[in-house]
This record gives sequence, C-alpha cells and structure tokens, in this order.
Amino acid sequence: MTTTTEPKSTKYAGKPQPGIDDPSLLTGSSTYMDDITVPRMIEGAVLRSPVAHARITRIDVSKALELPGVFDVITGNDLVEIAGEQPVIWYPIPEQRIARAHALATDTVRWVGQGVAAVAAVDRYVAEDALELIEVDYEPLPVVADLEQALAPDAPKLYEDWPDNISGSMTLTAGDADAAFAEADVVVGASFRHHPGYGCPIETRGCISNWDVFSGRLDVWLGTQSPNLARELFAQVLSVPVSKVRVRTPEIGGGFGLKFDFYPEGVIAAILSRRSKRPVKLLEDRQESFVASSRSRDMRHDFEMALRSDGTILGLRGTAYGVLGGALGTVGSGPPWASVLTSMGPYKIPNQELTLKAVMTNRSPYGSYRGWGVPKGNIVHERLIELAARKLGMSRIELRRMNFPAPEEFPYFSGAAFTFDSGRYADCLDLATSAVEERGWNELQREGREAGRSIGIGYGFHIEPGAYGPSRVLNMVGLDHSGFDEVYVRMDSAGKVTVLSGQISTGQGTHTTYAQLVAEGLGVPIEDVTVVTGDTESCPYTGYGTGGSRAATLGGAAIVNATGRLKSKILRIGAELLEADPEDLELEDGRVSVRGAADSSVSTADIGYSAYRMLNGRLPESETPTLEEVDVFDPANMTTSYACTALLVEVDRQTGAVKLLDCLQAHDAGVIINPLLADGQLAGGLAQAFGGGLFEEFVYDDDGQIRTASFMDYLIPSATDIPPFHFYHQETPAPHIPGGMKGLGEAGTIAGVSVVGSAIDDALSDLGVTVCEFPMTPPRLLELIRAAQSGEATT
Amino acid sequence: MSDKHTITVTVNGHVYTDDCEARMTLADFLRRQCGLTGTHLGCEHGVCGACTVFLDDVAVRSCLTFAVQADGARISTVEGLAEGDELNTLQKSFQEHHGLQCGFCTPGMLICATELLRDNPNPTETEVREGISGVLCRCTGYDGIVKSVMAAADSQRDGVSESGSIS
Ligand code: FES
Ligand code: FES
Repeated sequence: MTTTTEPKSTKYAGKPQPGIDDPSLLTGSSTYMDDITVPRMIEGAVLRSPVAHARITRIDVSKALELPGVFDVITGNDLVEIAGEQPVIWYPIPEQRIARAHALATDTVRWVGQGVAAVAAVDRYVAEDALELIEVDYEPLPVVADLEQALAPDAPKLYEDWPDNISGSMTLTAGDADAAFAEADVVVGASFRHHPGYGCPIETRGCISNWDVFSGRLDVWLGTQSPNLARELFAQVLSVPVSKVRVRTPEIGGGFGLKFDFYPEGVIAAILSRRSKRPVKLLEDRQESFVASSRSRDMRHDFEMALRSDGTILGLRGTAYGVLGGALGTVGSGPPWASVLTSMGPYKIPNQELTLKAVMTNRSPYGSYRGWGVPKGNIVHERLIELAARKLGMSRIELRRMNFPAPEEFPYFSGAAFTFDSGRYADCLDLATSAVEERGWNELQREGREAGRSIGIGYGFHIEPGAYGPSRVLNMVGLDHSGFDEVYVRMDSAGKVTVLSGQISTGQGTHTTYAQLVAEGLGVPIEDVTVVTGDTESCPYTGYGTGGSRAATLGGAAIVNATGRLKSKILRIGAELLEADPEDLELEDGRVSVRGAADSSVSTADIGYSAYRMLNGRLPESETPTLEEVDVFDPANMTTSYACTALLVEVDRQTGAVKLLDCLQAHDAGVIINPLLADGQLAGGLAQAFGGGLFEEFVYDDDGQIRTASFMDYLIPSATDIPPFHFYHQETPAPHIPGGMKGLGEAGTIAGVSVVGSAIDDALSDLGVTVCEFPMTPPRLLELIRAAQSGEATT
Repeated sequence: MSDKHTITVTVNGHVYTDDCEARMTLADFLRRQCGLTGTHLGCEHGVCGACTVFLDDVAVRSCLTFAVQADGARISTVEGLAEGDELNTLQKSFQEHHGLQCGFCTPGMLICATELLRDNPNPTETEVREGISGVLCRCTGYDGIVKSVMAAADSQRDGVSESGSIS
C-alpha cells in the first residue's frame, strides 16, 4: 500500500480542531493529581537512601512515631508482610536474571533514592518533619557507579549469587554478518553513548490510595498513563482480586512514558492507608523525581557498518549495553532491547548481528521515556551512515536514498523483529531536502561560512514503530501483557454520543482526536461527543496503556469500527421512522435524512428516543434496544511512521555552545486526524530530544551520588534554547489499521538526538569532528574541537 | 514550627483571611487554604515557573514566596483571567494556536505572557521567547506558545485600533 490518500471532503477528520479540553486547562478549572483531596485524607512522604549501595543494619522509627500529627511509619519489613515484589512486565531477553525489589528496601539498598521507610501524617509538612526523625544505619558496600565499572573483571557485584553484573544478553542475527564484513570495501564504526536522562513531565508523579480493609476495596487515584495495567499490578502485588481495585486518573500534567511505569509509591501509599485506615496521598517532589522516577536513555552502542564502495550497505553488527539500575523497573530491559531492534533504521541491511547486554549498576531503575529505546537505535544508524558517506566521499542524502526499501517492497522485514508496513521513504527525503532549499538554509550556510560563522545543517531519517502491538506477538517476544484496545461508543436517549476508552490523555489530545473520529464517522456535531477516560470501573480494558504510539492508531481504529456499526443501526432505525430504505439514508449534522429529500428527516434525538424510551412502533422488531457498539481491536501488525528531519545550527568554537537556529521535518504518519495537534506532538518531541542531545543529563559521581537533582543542574530546554519548527506532511496510510493512522507521538524524541550530532559535525566539517556522545554539552564539544584542532582522531 | 500567623490577601478580587505557619509558601496557601488549585507546582525551587502569579501586579514565583510575605497584597491567578464565561484574548489565542498540551505549565505561562504583553504590546518573536523563558514547558516545544503570544499581541493591537482601548 503506497498510495497517498486522496483529499476527501471531511468535516472533522483531518482538520485542525483545537483541543476540546483546553478551556478548562486555560482557566485553572481542571483537576490534576495534587488538586484532589478525598474525605479523611492524610499525606505521606518517603525516606530515601542517601547512599548507592549499603546494607541496612538498623532502622529506628520510634521518634518519628511520637511526632504529633504522625499516623504511621513503615519500613520495608512492615511492607513485605503485605506486599509482594514490584512487578516486571517485559522479559525480552531469554533466561534473563530478573532482579526484583520490594517497594521499600528490606536489607540492602542498591541506589541513591531507594525507598527505605515511609510516613503518613496530617500533612506533607509534618510528614517531612517526621522523616528527619527516622534513624537508619547503613553498612557501606562497594559501589558500581557506571557501566564500565560494572563490566570490569574484578567489579564488585550487586547480587552476590550472580557470576557478574550482567542480567542477561541476547544476539539477533540476519544473514551472515561476518561474511559481509569480510567482503566489505568500507567499514565504519564507533562507540555511541547516550547518558541518562528522564521524561521529566512538569507535573511530578502522585497518587491517593484508599485501601479499606472492611470492604476489601482498594480505590486509587493515580497519575498514570496506564490505569488498566496499574489495576492488574496492584492486584498482583497486594494479592487482592482485580475486581476490588479501582484506578482513576485525573488530568495528567505530562507523561512521556515516565508515567507508564508502575512505581513503588502507589504500593507504599496503599499499605500506609490500610494500616492507618485513612486515604493517603503520596506525591513525589521534583528533587525526588530524579531518583524515584524512571531513569532512561542510559546506553552505550559499540556498532559498525559494512558497505560496498558503491554505497550499498552490506552489514551491521555490534553490542548494545543497557545500563540497568539496582533492580529492574516495570519494563525491565525493554527499551534497550527496542534500541537494538531498530538499529538498522530505514535501511536495507541483509546481514546483521546485534547483541544486547543488560547490565546492573547502582543507579535507579531503568524505565520508560517517550521513544522507548528507538532514539538510540536512531543514533546508531544515522551516525554510522554519515560516517560512511564521509569515508566514501558520497552525499549523505544520496547514500541514505540508495539504501531505502522501495515503496513496492513493503511490507518490508527489517531483519530483526519488525516488519515495516508501508512507506515512501525517498519521497519523504526529497520533501525535506526541497524544504531546506526553499527555506534558504544552504544559502544561509554559505553566507555564514564566508563571514566566519560555523553554521551546520544536520539531517536525520527515522522510523517510529507505533500501534504496539499485536497481542500474541508481544507475548512471544516477552511481554506479560496484551496490546489490543477496546472502546465503547454509545448514543444516548437524547441522541448525544459518549465514547469510553481505556486510553487516557496526557496532553497529546486523545480526547479531541477521538471526538473528531466519532463526529466524522457518525455524522454528528463534535459538540455532541463526550469522551470519557481514566476510570477502570467504567472504561473498557486496554492492553498495555497509553504508550507505544497506540492511542490514535489502536483506539482510533476501534472507534472507526464501532462507529461504523453504530451508524448502520442508527440508519436502520431511521429507516423505520422515515419509512424508507436504509440504503437511501444519510446521517449528517445529527440528522438522518433521505438522500436528496432533506425535508424528510429525523434527528439523532428521535433515534435515541426510539431506542431507549418509546420502542413501540419506532424501534424495528429485529433490533435490540439501546445504541451501543463495542469494538476490540488487536492489530495484525504494528505501524511504522517515518520522517526526515533537518536542523540548522551554529557552533561557537570558543565556548562549545550550540545554538539551534531552525528546524524542519518532513513526516509521514499515515492518515492525520488533526494536523494542529500532530504538529504539536512533533514539535514537543523534538524539543525533548534537543534537551537530551545538548543539555539534559543525570551526572553521577564515583559513589553513585546523583549530582543533578534539581532544575538548576538538570537543564530542560527553555523557549530561548528551542528553534522554530516547520512541518511538512505526506500521508501513506497504514494498510491494516482502519482509518489508516500511524503512530506519531514519539517521532520527535526518536529523530531529534542524532540530528544534533549531524548538524554539529557539519558545522565543524573542516575539523572532521564526529559527535558520538549525548548530551553534547559545551565542555564535551570543546574537548572534541581541541582534539581535532591538535590533530587527534575524534572517533 | 507551629506558630501560626493570620494573613489577609485579596485574590482575584475575593478577600481571604486565614491562619498559616510561617513556613507555608504562597503557592500552598493559594492551593490549600484558598482552594485555588489552578496555580501549579512543578519544582518548588523557583525554576519551572508553573507557580507564577501576580503579586501586586508583578509576576512572582509563588513557591519562593512565603504566604506571610503576601499579607495585605493583591494577587491574581489563572482563575482570574477569563472574562465572565469567556476566555480572554490570550487564552483564546492559546487554544487556537495550540499553545498548550497537558496544561500544567499553562497557568504560569499565561501569567508570564500577560505581564510581557502589558509591558511590551509589540514584542518580536525573540522578545516573546525571552519573555517566557522563565517558564518551562515540557510538552509543546514552545512553538505553539510563541505563536499564541504573538497572535494575542496582534489581536490586542487590532482591538486598540478598532476601539481605541485594549480589548
Ligand atoms: S514551582 Fe515555583 S518555580 Fe517551579
Ligand atoms: S503544556 Fe505540558 S508542560 Fe506545558
């Protein structure tokens, strides 16, 4: 399937509909996690380990318990009486050693910030006072502060009964990589390092857990992207029936994958609630977030690419190291695995040998962040292809183009796990290069260089696996969860429509795009559509959660299907009321009318009345009452969207600072439901990636202490750091998704890191600098520049 | 720690009098004592700007201000921006140009942009970027926000030329 969608006349789909939740968000009237109080609620706080690796020899909570206003104090030993270990849901590496931990440490702490004890008190101020009164003695153990230390032959071990610090490893192969490298004319390789960072939503994580022992019910408000998954995992960890657990999500102040994972605090709050018989609110503060929310991106990729002198890529091989923490997080080594699976990118590479090693260190657990490993796969293929172009003396654009699968080669098997569904990669590349020309960047660069400025243009091509994923395939590759999505579409007795979904909105516009799809699919005004999400008691089950670029694709597909069936039923009822043939009817603007005879019509309110209240004589005998359709959509394949990104930068050779001047992206995510929101997703993702490419880093010292636990030290980009964006779209529909949508929520984060490297290299092309490390901070870049100026090799 | 002080503040035109500890931040006072949860906390150490409010017409970080410091002051928050049941020009512009996604930074961003447009009704794009650079947004990449503020400046100008006063 390689056709572009014909522009068709639509009323809502494909239109720049502003966010339907925006008015309440703009007036301060919406409700986020910390805005909620429930009756009898008290507040908690967690005492966290100040050291990276130690045995706990003594904890004394007696003074804290005596502080007026304190309800309860728990330690790990109290917690394990009720709770099991924190769950891991991804097992991509066969026979991997899975290091699990409880929500509070019991005898050993393995990272700075690991929970050691927790307090429930009348408010957060008092709870924090109480933390200071808890006494803990630690017997220090040798610290494994980084990857290199963890891999050293004489490294101290995190787990005494393991032979080393390697949790697991696996190798994926296609063809014969050794033979390919042996016959290659050119081999390029490097060691690529992406340092740790995190999703960093401006709203931190939080919950209110209310575990009532008398009813046996656990009622949780949780700032999560995955309410259904959280309900399953609460039930699993706390040994309560799923049916007794209710998870509700309020407005979410950004998720970015970080709020997909299932964290200790929900469990801690539940235990505190059960013991104190009060609902307990537990919020992470910003400083805690750096050690308590998922650490991500932290990987090294030692990879090389083999090519023929004409530019044909023959092979790719290498080893990727995932820098796991002191225990596995919810998604285990999932993201590092995904980086390996996507390391060949959009290129045809017949011979591959891709190894993944997941390594334990005394850092906080590794977890989800938008892009989920793929940004680092992208660094591998995009940096290597530019190195190859340089070595071959070829255009970096042409080298990319000649290695793409042609449109007629889709579905295209990448060699490792993913089959790309459809694509016109070369067209997309052309769209980007002509936009660069049109915007005058080449001219700007020429002029700038003549004036002695170091102006660079970076290019990057990325693929984004979306619509995660076919349930059985996900199970086969090691996910202990499903990937389908379910939706209810209901017209009520007044003819208005409610959609219920297990997806949630973290700002990406799920509610808006769903309302558009329903309004378009049924033929009702968008104001008539209400989207309800965020309550496991009323909303349907979704496999996984809102992550993996699945809300628009899978939820959207389910809506397209359900809406189609509901429309047929509405037309059949309309036919009874109008004494016409359903075939002759149309539904537009909330009215069913005989095509070509607009005066002969009934409203959806008439239809609703006939289906719910006045059935006699109005609802056909063959129809069941009510107007509701349920659809469960489990995709046959994932979607693969793609884009070519270009970035204009200026490098200051004196300071190593990089100024981002302008950015454009030619993007193809199949059928776009809402171009306004789509561009917002692309821009937001790119800005995050530029943060990771240039500024954001968890810096650790030799003792495993994090040195960047505030916004003074962990630098997320501000408006002056980020360039303007220009987006260009082509639409190649997803062949197996009703509606044709592909995922796009992760595009920016995948594309934006390697392109920073490409742009810097280009700005410094006279020096032959190669950026292999991210973030490329000014001190790092200065070092590269000085090394190049003094004639040292830089790769 | 438990010494209480009684303070009185006027927030969005309403007078609130309540007791608080000396250590209570203005942000917590607004959110917990006044029930105005539109002001958000993203860092509580003065960097993210989500907590920005007007204190006697100056945009300040309410997480770095103690409630007792605001005794007697006039405060406006995001809840005071709309005109009756209608969004104001800036709010409308944010909706139209997708100047928000999750909405968490938005209250601080709106207050900050209101101050910017008050002091400089004709900002250049660079001035807008500098003007809002004290509020961090993790969702939008700032593109939609910059467009929103520029467009709001335009409509304010149109409002001035049509009616002679800022609409
Ligand atoms: S919460 Fe006040 S500046 Fe971040
Ligand atoms: S809109 Fe989410 S942080 Fe700005």
